[in-house]
Amino acid sequence: MSHFTTVNGNVEVRLGPEERLFLGDVLPLLAGIGSQGSDPAADRLKVPVYLDDPEANEEWWRLMGSELDAGRRSDRAVFEKAISSEGPVTLTNAEADAVLRVLNEARLALGARFGIDVEEDHDELPEDSRQVLDYLGWIQEELTLELMRAL
Amino acid sequence: MLAHPTPVIVPETDEDLDLDKPWQVVVWNDPVNTMTYVVYVFRKLFGYDEPKATELMLQVHHEGRATVSDGPREKAELDCFRLQNHGLWATIEQ
Repeated sequence: MSHFTTVNGNVEVRLGPEERLFLGDVLPLLAGIGSQGSDPAADRLKVPVYLDDPEANEEWWRLMGSELDAGRRSDRAVFEKAISSEGPVTLTNAEADAVLRVLNEARLALGARFGIDVEEDHDELPEDSRQVLDYLGWIQEELTLELMRAL
Repeated sequence: MLAHPTPVIVPETDEDLDLDKPWQVVVWNDPVNTMTYVVYVFRKLFGYDEPKATELMLQVHHEGRATVSDGPREKAELDCFRLQNHGLWATIEQ
């Protein structure tokens, strides 16, 4: 059974105690990105948007970067709500979308720190790292499919 | 016919700047983003139907990149923002 069910246009979230505990670690993970010197996760979340024009790239990030950061902080607050109780926790479609973005952001951050450069790298990861990514990927897939039904 | 035509002043042009040429938003392949998620984002942000979104996702997957939208620079920059906000690696080019 999926952790996510659409009811009257909203998304109900059901997570077990261990899952909520595990997903709770996502928030400090994301909050700590870039706080300690060189961090592949920070680089992955701030990729250049103009590949051949450093000045335009810098300008884009100057204008958009803070808005992007604010959006990510707002998404994480929704994520915190989604895992706040055994629930079911009811989220609007937009809130469920925010949870989806956080799950994806966490996988991108971990993937970067684990050194995944090509898809095959995933299979070479230590088992515990692979399990973390796979669990997040599984939850994310469930939520993506649920939200896709509403499009 | 004018006996003495007015000289035409040709403005200096910047070869890099072509106002008529649309800007393109390109999404690049990523080893972590899932196929389902990428299809979902393309459908949600651009209103593409499932076959179109899937076609673009597969182009990204197999060819390494795909142009997912184009238009004036302001639109391209906004589309790029929306894609970055969803964790897709999007760039802008002309």
